[in-house]
Amino acid sequence: MTLEKKDIQGLMVRGHGNLKSARFLLYTCSDPTSSCDFLKEIVPLITNAEEKPEKEAIHIAFTYEGLSFLQLPAPLLNSFCREFKEGMTAEQRRAVLGDIGDNDPDNWDWGQDSIHFLLMVYAKDQEQLDKSMLRIKEQTDRCGIELIHTLPTGLLQHQKEHFGFRDDISRPVIRELLKETPPENLFTFPAGEFIMGYKNLYDEYAPAPYVPFELDTTGLLPVHPDYPERKDLGKNGSYLVFRQMHQNVHSFWKYMKEQTGEKGEAIKLASKMVGRWPDGSPLARCPMAPDPALSESNDFGYWDDDQAGLKCPLGAHIRRSNPRDHLVTETSKKDSSEMAAKHQLLRKGRPYGPPVTPELDPQNIMDSTEDEQERGLHFICMVTDIRRQFEFVQNNWVSFHKFGGLENDADPIIGNHYDTGQYKTNEFSVPHYPIRKKYSNLPNFTLIKGGAYFFFPGIKALQYIANHE
Amino acid sequence: MSTIHKGLTVTVTLHEDKLTDVNGQLFQFRNELKTNREQFEKALPGTFFISWLTLPPQVYEEQEQLPARIILMTSYVGDKNQHIEELVAFLEPKLKQVFGESDEFPITYSGKSEMIAFLHDKSVPNTFYSGFKFISTADVEREKDLKAAVWEYAQQMNTDLEASQLPPSKIKQKIEYYIANNPKLSWAVAGIPYAQKNKIQMLLPLVIFGLVMACSIVCILLSFFVDALFVKVMAWVFPLFLLFMGGMLVLLRQNEKKPHIPGKELSDEEVRKIVALETNPVINEMTVIAPLKKGWIRRAFLSVSLKLVGLLAYFTYIPTVHTARWLQLDKGKRLVFIANFDNLSEAYAHDFVDSERRTKNMAVIFSHAFGFPATRWLIHKQYNHRSEYMKGVRAHQKITQFWYSRNQYESVENLKRNRAFREGLFKEMDEEAIKKWLLTI
Repeated sequence: MTLEKKDIQGLMVRGHGNLKSARFLLYTCSDPTSSCDFLKEIVPLITNAEEKPEKEAIHIAFTYEGLSFLQLPAPLLNSFCREFKEGMTAEQRRAVLGDIGDNDPDNWDWGQDSIHFLLMVYAKDQEQLDKSMLRIKEQTDRCGIELIHTLPTGLLQHQKEHFGFRDDISRPVIRELLKETPPENLFTFPAGEFIMGYKNLYDEYAPAPYVPFELDTTGLLPVHPDYPERKDLGKNGSYLVFRQMHQNVHSFWKYMKEQTGEKGEAIKLASKMVGRWPDGSPLARCPMAPDPALSESNDFGYWDDDQAGLKCPLGAHIRRSNPRDHLVTETSKKDSSEMAAKHQLLRKGRPYGPPVTPELDPQNIMDSTEDEQERGLHFICMVTDIRRQFEFVQNNWVSFHKFGGLENDADPIIGNHYDTGQYKTNEFSVPHYPIRKKYSNLPNFTLIKGGAYFFFPGIKALQYIANHE
Repeated sequence: MSTIHKGLTVTVTLHEDKLTDVNGQLFQFRNELKTNREQFEKALPGTFFISWLTLPPQVYEEQEQLPARIILMTSYVGDKNQHIEELVAFLEPKLKQVFGESDEFPITYSGKSEMIAFLHDKSVPNTFYSGFKFISTADVEREKDLKAAVWEYAQQMNTDLEASQLPPSKIKQKIEYYIANNPKLSWAVAGIPYAQKNKIQMLLPLVIFGLVMACSIVCILLSFFVDALFVKVMAWVFPLFLLFMGGMLVLLRQNEKKPHIPGKELSDEEVRKIVALETNPVINEMTVIAPLKKGWIRRAFLSVSLKLVGLLAYFTYIPTVHTARWLQLDKGKRLVFIANFDNLSEAYAHDFVDSERRTKNMAVIFSHAFGFPATRWLIHKQYNHRSEYMKGVRAHQKITQFWYSRNQYESVENLKRNRAFREGLFKEMDEEAIKKWLLTI
């Protein structure tokens, strides 16, 4: 099935890496009618997937609260999935996501307040970004729309994140975007895993929001492929999950040094926690030392020769967030791979804040003086099923301290680490001869500072939202 | 003495207008459990899980009203009589209070012995699965403590250069010496009692079934040469079994061709009520009770399937599940499924659908229940298979008003690993096997 790229927002298919400057803007509206006027103005400026912007790209996504505020019809609002309607900070969602203690939404900078929509503005440089921001400000001011949070971003050198590790190497490949037949060893995903209106891995159309036929008076929306009485509002859209994750870089490297005593060993321990060396090479393929030739390696698994985790620990971050072909609870490579494939995310995030050192070399980071700078990652991912994809990974693989037969281990990098007295999640186990090594009292190396679930509509759906009666 | 993990299911009908009262009582017990958990653990030493709930009336074949029920489901190790006595000794006032609301409860109730008789009388057979085998309630704690103590002792070997160079067999010897000479751990020297006996007990029905079938196949061949009545009769058993199963499958296929009636989705509000009770950080519970799809063949096929699944219980594997059970109620018109599993139902439910193989296994049982997906030849999926499964599970999930789990903090993988460590103690192994065994610590 061919992708309708003109109707898909461009961020679905590219990360705008050439547009180095970007800002994420969170707005609240004051009047539904003038807000729709703003949308009518902004829709033509939204970058679609057919375009390859050189100067500027703009994307828009809505919270459930925002869509309700715009007074969309009740059947449409009801048709969104429960997680989206409840929002990331609802009690049940907190429990699923493990947002308790330090990560409790009550401690967040944003996410509890009335956010109606998110504008993502990308520009080739700061000057262009400032220009775009001025134009948007004029438009929003005119329509009574208030900017409540501005989230700056900043790409780091060598595709690294703030701890000093190469990031964003493992990305799911969307089958329909490939121009040629992929090599046999490349696992590809049907578009429906990430873009609504297409078949997913279950060979079904993912559940998507819809409009009763009679309410699409302009005839903008396509008919839902499963239900002829519905118009498919979800077609070419997605859910966008946003979590602002503060990274405590100095606390991270301080812990590694304290546990190991010297820098080389500290880097080894940190790499065990990540599952890759700082240059990106995976421990599963080069467990003893980094191999720059493998720094973008994504063609590896664990089933054949690392089931015990002697190379890459079972609890390592990359093994938890994508167990690939080995889940301890499965009895075959095939079952493990099938299970893991059903819980993939299309990541589109960007770091924010200044790097501790420009090169982000862990050796230098460890020598640096602690500062009070705010830095971290704007984690953004696209999924068609929030519960099956994002929440499952966050709950079952990242947060669950019993993952893979472990005992007290949440994800060492992004997990929420605590000790309630009855149970704890702040250990990291490293399979080792003669006896497993266990690192205790892990502090929280990352903290959630904000977050929300958004609907990231297709262009026609946007037009419908802007023009609905 | 048996350490086979089994399930007891007791059920009685209830007037619909008493549902609210009974639900209130059960929820009150749930609240009391928060403060008297220690009493439960002390008084119910052989009990792993208790789920106690009411079931509202349900409609079968769009017309027949199936009655409201009270269902008590426990899991235990050991003897059934002993387990019932244990339950009655501690829970008798509560059992009387709740079951007393049913018309099936004796009018002239005379005390504990009658309660024992009542529970026996109202217990119904179930197909039971346990994710861990031959582990008693006491084993859970002490095997965990044993492993923790050994890890504390052995972890110094990582820093002791000399010790870390030792071959695996020497490390194992050191560990075994430590256990044997530690008065708190030396119980582990004795090995695992009844393991072999229990394995045989569990496999016996399957062995008998297999022997009968094998004998029948041999008799088919013999019948060409031997003219004995026994041989003639036995020669018919296997073909009749195949014919019976084949016939059932053909009849089921006819039933499958009837238009599929999709079930209704549970409202967000109802789902919220269910998941709000999943507060345990490690283990939680799910009860799914659904009327069957139209047609007697569904009831019959499911009944036979459950018997066969029961035969294979020793070899069955369901990841992350501590216990599961299936049974039919109301002359087979209702399917009851209950699972105690690791983590939350929102994650666990994916075990039903994320692997093709598992979905096929699940279809053998769940596809007979109303609201679950349509199938072809039982295991072949049709479109919307996955979403119908997820919808079906949620739509028929019931609120379990009272739930008790003796073990709160050990996952099923933890239990299995702890047992694997204990099994390896004082056992002959080669160096490679010892290396693997050391990884269980």
